[in-house]
Amino acid sequence: MSRRRRKTQQSPRPAAPSGGAPGAPGAPGATKPAGGASFWRRNRRELTFLALFAALLAGSFTLISVNWVNDHAIEPFTGGVARASGALLNLLGQHVVMRGTVIQGPRFAVNVRNGCNGVEAMLIFLAAVLAFPASWRSRLAGLALGILAIQVVNLVRVASLYLTGAYLPRLFDASHTVIWQSVVILFGVILWVFWANRLPPRDEPAT
Amino acid sequence: MGFLGEPPATARRAGHLSHPRPPRRGWAARLIRNSLLWMVPVAALWWLATPVYNRMLLSSAGGLLSLFEHPAVTELLAKGDHDAYVVRRDFPPARALVHPFHVTDVHFHLLLLGALFLGVPGLPWRERLGNLAIAALVTVVYDVLLVVFIVEFVYSTQLGAFSLAHYGAVARNFWGLGKHLLDLPFKLALPLLLWCAFYLPQLRAAAASAAAARAAGPAAPAQRARGAS
Repeated sequence: MSRRRRKTQQSPRPAAPSGGAPGAPGAPGATKPAGGASFWRRNRRELTFLALFAALLAGSFTLISVNWVNDHAIEPFTGGVARASGALLNLLGQHVVMRGTVIQGPRFAVNVRNGCNGVEAMLIFLAAVLAFPASWRSRLAGLALGILAIQVVNLVRVASLYLTGAYLPRLFDASHTVIWQSVVILFGVILWVFWANRLPPRDEPAT
Repeated sequence: MGFLGEPPATARRAGHLSHPRPPRRGWAARLIRNSLLWMVPVAALWWLATPVYNRMLLSSAGGLLSLFEHPAVTELLAKGDHDAYVVRRDFPPARALVHPFHVTDVHFHLLLLGALFLGVPGLPWRERLGNLAIAALVTVVYDVLLVVFIVEFVYSTQLGAFSLAHYGAVARNFWGLGKHLLDLPFKLALPLLLWCAFYLPQLRAAAASAAAARAAGPAAPAQRARGAS
């Protein structure tokens, strides 16, 4: 009895949460062409997004793996991240000095390397924003604010990793690889969902 | 009256109150809130299951590698709950442990996957868990493949003379680039890719709804909330 009641209380799958967007796939009013060939037509936007997203990810990460790009763009950028993190730690009274990408203090030292510079989260966010159907104006605004926000979170990450290594060294490994990586990527995903949900009406795809 | 001077909930349910309920948050806002809330229990479950999952990954990847090796010489030896060694049985015993790696690093994206899939609002549990199960299955296959790429990357680029003798330039680049792409961008983006494969239409519809509500003005949030439940 109670089971049946619970089932009837469950809300249906929100194919069109808006009550609008009647043409959205899966919406009650949407027409579904029959046959296997129509799969592409029905899911064209989703499949295009996924393919573009994957291609942009592969392309951008292949690009940063080229030695010249790494030496002339990624390494200087990583040095900048290290300097900013060092400045933040000095503001917190840690008395650290910077040597290239190394932040060294009296209790601990961290070397900011690829993987700790926020570039991965930035590129994933960039790929998701560029692949999503929106106007170039919305994309550029989203990218500018999103990348800035990701770098702010990454700054907190590097500073907190230094503090973890200095004061709670047992937690450093888990914090370095699992916790902060997950937090930064989740933050990027949340930013993207927020951006996609705030697109202006009739924002037509630019691609 | 309640403790804080609020009317009892029963009065609200019975419709004795004249003021309307505050508008519910939009679909995307609830998705974000739910995903953040789910991170903690998902992380606890992941941490508990990690030792078993690591062993399953090592045995599956070892089995897959042995299918393509003649003779099968690779062994993936677990070291504690979180680490492993790549072992080559055809090497002298002093050099047989060719590479250590942290197996737990391979699959921490399961945290994001669980939080994102469980955080989707307004979906029956059966459907939510079904979608999560399919996505988790894809992720397990991905993780096994990643371990295979890690081992082949070690063989092709990290063993000096052995790598040069047994792998050509194309093979070294293939395994090197493949490991780089699978270990960084696609590992980190896989939860979002899988989530989009299932829920992009909902996100688009929610965005259209939010845009329509913003265009309609201040009366719209309540309307949007009704549609987004």
